[in-house]
Amino acid sequence: MENLLEFLVKALVDEPDQVNITEVQQEQSTTYEVRVAPGDLGKVIGKQGRIANALRTVTKAAAMKHKRKVYVEIIA
Amino acid sequence: MTDLDPNEDVNSPNTAEEEQIALQVVLDFCAAAGGTMEAELTDKQGSHLMISLTGVDADETWGKTGQILDALQLLLNHILAHRIRGDVRIMLDAGNYRSRRIESLRAHARELAAEVKSRNMECELEPLPSHERRIIHSELADDPDVETYSEGSDRDRHVVIAPRK
Repeated sequence: MENLLEFLVKALVDEPDQVNITEVQQEQSTTYEVRVAPGDLGKVIGKQGRIANALRTVTKAAAMKHKRKVYVEIIA
Repeated sequence: MTDLDPNEDVNSPNTAEEEQIALQVVLDFCAAAGGTMEAELTDKQGSHLMISLTGVDADETWGKTGQILDALQLLLNHILAHRIRGDVRIMLDAGNYRSRRIESLRAHARELAAEVKSRNMECELEPLPSHERRIIHSELADDPDVETYSEGSDRDRHVVIAPRK
């Protein structure tokens, strides 16, 4: 799941080396904190947050298999 | 003998190289998703390439709802636009979701059109994404008794079927 999120985020940005994803485990859920180069923020958020929302939908779908609740946060 | 470039498909505005890159974007996704799925180019409509995912994850995860499939399609098209310029776009299918959905939308459109005719009253459909609204419009385009148009904005945009005046 983290592989998939990492692939998607790195493929969307201009500076894939600057992509950093941190997995934070909580009791009931997992949060993925996504950090990208400042100039790439728009590329992972998109107009009206459409790309960020699609990243959340896709990551949640991938996590369903593991019956795990996941959140994706884009950290500016 | 023709002097057409064999690499140029007259029905498609895309180059063979662009199509290869589009397919590669989807194959890269399959690998990142765990490598249990296969991707195949199944149809072309203008600059749109229908690429179908098959395998257990395609059936049980990606083709489960239109929302999931559309989200993945949006991301893969942004990735593609990031790799190449050009108009080539990916229409993604998984576990035959799209073809089943297209059939059910067409049947739904015909049923509602029949009702519109018999009651002589217009009828609003539920909000649908643009590619699904297009299926409704084109299914009823040749019907002499009804006309269709869209109204509402953004997430509320929906098709209206009305008696033709």
